[in-house]
Amino acid sequence: MVRKTLASATFALALAAGSAGAHAEDAPKTFTIGAHMPLTGTLARSGQAFDEGMQVAVKMCNAISPKYKVKVEVIDDESTPAKAVSAVEKLASSGAVAIIGGYGSNIVGPASDASDKLGKTYITAGAVSDELTARGLKTFFRINNNAGYERGIATLLTDLKPKSVSIIASTKEAPALLAAGLDKDLTAAGIKVTVHKFDPAITDFKPIINKIKLQDKPDIIMMSAYENDYVGIIRAAKVLKPNVKLIVGTWSLATPKMYTEFPDLMGNVVGTSFLPFPVEVKSEEGQTFAKLYKEMYKKDIEYLSTLSFVETMVLCDGIFRAAEAGTLESGGLSDEMRKTDRDSLLGRIQFDQTGDNPNFSLSMGQHRDGKIVLVSPKSAATGEIVYPGLPW
Amino acid sequence: MTELVLQALFSGVLIGGVYALVALGLALAFGAMRIINLAHGELVLLAAYMAYLVESRTGLDPYFAIPLALIVVGVASWILFLLVDRIKDHRELNSLILTFAIGIILTNAILLLFASDVRTTSSAFLQDAVSFGDVYAMRGELIAFVLALVLMGVLWWWLKSSWYGRAVRAVSSNRGAAQLMGINPTRIETVSFLVAGALASFAGIALYTMSVVQPATGHALTVKAFIITVLAGVGSIPGVFLGAVLLGLTEALTVTFASSALQELAGMVLFLLVLFFMPNGLFGARARRG
Repeated sequence: MVRKTLASATFALALAAGSAGAHAEDAPKTFTIGAHMPLTGTLARSGQAFDEGMQVAVKMCNAISPKYKVKVEVIDDESTPAKAVSAVEKLASSGAVAIIGGYGSNIVGPASDASDKLGKTYITAGAVSDELTARGLKTFFRINNNAGYERGIATLLTDLKPKSVSIIASTKEAPALLAAGLDKDLTAAGIKVTVHKFDPAITDFKPIINKIKLQDKPDIIMMSAYENDYVGIIRAAKVLKPNVKLIVGTWSLATPKMYTEFPDLMGNVVGTSFLPFPVEVKSEEGQTFAKLYKEMYKKDIEYLSTLSFVETMVLCDGIFRAAEAGTLESGGLSDEMRKTDRDSLLGRIQFDQTGDNPNFSLSMGQHRDGKIVLVSPKSAATGEIVYPGLPW
Repeated sequence: MTELVLQALFSGVLIGGVYALVALGLALAFGAMRIINLAHGELVLLAAYMAYLVESRTGLDPYFAIPLALIVVGVASWILFLLVDRIKDHRELNSLILTFAIGIILTNAILLLFASDVRTTSSAFLQDAVSFGDVYAMRGELIAFVLALVLMGVLWWWLKSSWYGRAVRAVSSNRGAAQLMGINPTRIETVSFLVAGALASFAGIALYTMSVVQPATGHALTVKAFIITVLAGVGSIPGVFLGAVLLGLTEALTVTFASSALQELAGMVLFLLVLFFMPNGLFGARARRG
């Protein structure tokens, strides 16, 4: 049944593109895309979500292109940099025309270095450190960055005009970088900021929350962390009940999945988001992605899957363009990628000289009884923010 | 400031109790067989996932998963023992490698079976706040702490007073002499591993009720349990409790007076200091009891 539905959707896509049968007599040329993903290890949750979005994108790319096809070869990097480097080398030697990177700046950094040395184009949606683009690699591209997350959160927080904000930040690279940027932005806006860094191994957040409750007394608690940390922090806050008005977080927080799994913790919590929930996708590409994703994985599109979907679509476009221009085999893919200018579920995608996407910016979504309402920026809002609003 | 310190002390003692519960099984196997079971954290994790399974499928409180966890973790422990028992040469070193490998296999099996998502209890009863004056805890934490105390008492009594307990201590002291006294060392070691598995079952369920678990959690649990076992001194049950509470207090006070980023570092510094000044641990060989 699923296969039949997928086949129908694929056929419909091909028809929509107006190209079905145009080159039916030519055997399509297939290119291999290599991918290293943390399918096991500490980042397995992210790696598996990335893999799902990538697989849907490959299906869609193949459906709309009669002349060229792509297949993806995935290697589990086990959430470690050394395995990621070895995966890149193996994928390059087995003929991959480009590499899709995994998750975490500390892993993507050495892996993209290795890819650059091998002359392979490397794209990622899972590494936001500024150091990655500062290297000036000609083969490195990414669709999201720390600046985009920082902009989205800082816009919301400054609009709310709190007197003070306490930031609870993991010492991992990306959350620490975001916390440092927000500290700077909010302090410049006249807001008192206190940052509490924590070791990722921490399980009991009550001592931190108690410090916030008794010493900082902020209006807003901001979490720059990951899913397991969010649960621990909000749970500790529910126990100690600090006198705050709002709890804000970052990636993978304002998602239907978080509400489904932790409904008692998510009420009124705000996090970065692309889309409201129930999902309202306006573009044809987004609607097809949402439909295929649901068919393949029996769930609504996820935050991380959306990121990997977009990066894979962008890469496919580049590969097809380079193949058409006849430059793919001679290393022309990176030049073609630099010409990218397309709309996506994340907005407009372009790459600057460092390979970064300068247009990346996010909305902020608030959990409301199982729905996610976009509350910031005003231009993207689908509703007013509940402020003060807490899970308890 | 008093309120802050009291909460830190209270949280430190509570988390220490749970650390002790996690470490007990490792300490028992280490004490009885001189085997550091590096898959112990994964056994604890397996029990936590049994709690998740029962809670998500039946809606029952996670503690109803105890029988299932005892069976599943018990079988896993038994298989683990059978594999370890096949090692004839350099048992202490080779068992380290073997149990480390089994830990990896278990982690990935859990990943395949339960996916990589973050899991924790959804029980409102266990998540409710309980206050004692100015200090607060989750009900799940208090239950886990009491469970840790009870299990430590039972284990201490078992090792001290029961025939099997005395046999475990005898095999631990001198395997050959114990055999000459009519004790079957293999049977006693099997019992030790099964009891360690039972302790891991309780620890896993307690962990699930008060913290979050995911497949990668197991290794961190093993490291924590190992630190506590060494802090305590080989074979000391009261030492495990005191070592765990000391570690919990050190971590909580570090968060309160310094930075939460230094919490794990403070624990490791404590570990090194104890090793440096008291190489046999806080309750090392001379003071060993139980």
